[in-house]
Amino acid sequence: MLQIQGLKKQFGGLVALNGVSWHLPPKQILGVIGMNGSGKTTMLNCINGLYVPTAGKVLLHGKDITGWPVEQVAREGIGRTFQVPRVFPHMTLLDNLDVSQLHKGRTAEERYAVSVKWLEKVELYRLRHNMAEELSGGQQKLLELARIMVSQPKVVLLDEPFAGVNPGLAQLLISVIKTLPTEHDCSVVLVSHDLTSIYQLSNHIIVMNEGSILSQGSADVVKNDPAVIEAYLGA
Amino acid sequence: MQDLVLQGIVNGLILGAIYGLIGVGLNVIFGVLRVVNFAHGEFLVLGAYLALMLAQYAGLSPFWALPITFLVFCLIGYLLYFVLIPRLSKSNDPETSSLLLMFGVSIMLGAIMLLLFDADARSLEYEIEPVFLMLGNIILPTIRLITLAISIVIVALVAWLLYGTLTGKALRAIIMNRDAVRIVGIKTERLAAVAFALGIGLAGVTGVLTAMVFPSFSPFMGNDYTLIGFVVIVLGGLGNPVGALVGALLYAVTEQVASVFFNPSIGTICGFVLMVATIFVRPNGLFGKQVMR
Repeated sequence: MLQIQGLKKQFGGLVALNGVSWHLPPKQILGVIGMNGSGKTTMLNCINGLYVPTAGKVLLHGKDITGWPVEQVAREGIGRTFQVPRVFPHMTLLDNLDVSQLHKGRTAEERYAVSVKWLEKVELYRLRHNMAEELSGGQQKLLELARIMVSQPKVVLLDEPFAGVNPGLAQLLISVIKTLPTEHDCSVVLVSHDLTSIYQLSNHIIVMNEGSILSQGSADVVKNDPAVIEAYLGA
Repeated sequence: MQDLVLQGIVNGLILGAIYGLIGVGLNVIFGVLRVVNFAHGEFLVLGAYLALMLAQYAGLSPFWALPITFLVFCLIGYLLYFVLIPRLSKSNDPETSSLLLMFGVSIMLGAIMLLLFDADARSLEYEIEPVFLMLGNIILPTIRLITLAISIVIVALVAWLLYGTLTGKALRAIIMNRDAVRIVGIKTERLAAVAFALGIGLAGVTGVLTAMVFPSFSPFMGNDYTLIGFVVIVLGGLGNPVGALVGALLYAVTEQVASVFFNPSIGTICGFVLMVATIFVRPNGLFGKQVMR
């Protein structure tokens, strides 16, 4: 499905990402943890085209999409959310989802049906005519997730989806993310500081430190890796 | 006195609709592209000259010139976009660069019009009967009423495009957050070209309307209209096409009503005082909202 090979990103003399490689199989959730500045978001930015990597490759279904423009990567099937949600604030929730389907060639009725389905799934249907700016931060994250899912991506990159979200909405987010591989044939790269959620959701976990992979494996492997305990989890 | 004030309000509303069109065109371009179109007034005057040529060489009335000018200017705008605008994105400060670029285009267009049409003031000739209508003691020039109706229809069409169509929603989304639009897979380049074409098309069509309402036009008048456009969008809110219309109505009514009590120059000053006061109270304009960049 999604594969990155020796991905490197350098800003002047600063190496933010240093030769990272991994493979995400279909219908799997890859959890990524690491301290601030460990290169997690830089890695997502290199995958979805916001940054052009200094070296390395991004492959989707074996196709090299390295350095493609953001919109072309999105059309190829990679969706992305952000730590600070980037919704269209002065538009209704329905319009937010409508715009995201512009390139899908659907009729107005089809677009509406898909939008309603996702608004119901993220429990925002009753607010469908409200402006996105009226939502709480957590609700905006749900809307942003719905906005990428209406275009049926093959892979979604979720950057800190639980940051600043109240426990109730975080639980809803977890339950929605859990269904993405099973019900929507979608693989997920989940970047989060919330270890409980990462352990609960991920099939495979990568621990990043200073732009490189420090450790990887199942939740149990990562939890018990002495290098991780020393560098990230503490004693 | 009461009749004079009412007359001023009516005149203001009619002029405001035309000023609104100037602001809407300018605002669509600025909102979507962040391009400060300093040449908007010159495109407007060029639209008036096209109507004049259509009348002189093809015998077409200004009413026929309206749709033709719109289409021709949309095409010019669409092509011009790819010549001028994409290069701006390579600049470290695209907005300032766009201002300088379009200022250059403004000077160039002014010079071209001067070469082609000379410096003499021209006017569109047409006949409308009756010349004016009376509403009590208020005089309503027929052509101004017609241009008011046309302006309202055009603004309604632009509003429908922006709020009722998927392309329009995408244009508004670009105004709010261009990066987020790209992230959902929309190619912003073509949409930006559409916005530029629409803005230039609106400038052309507004030029025909101003030539119908005002007694004359000349190659030197572009800057005046650009200035009005900027006042209007500062009042209404940068990047908000609907706000531009409201701003235009306020500006024109203030100007016209003030002209009832003082001489017209003071009326113009009152319009600018309103703008300055608005900036003090609402720096983003009456309908301006903070956008994410």
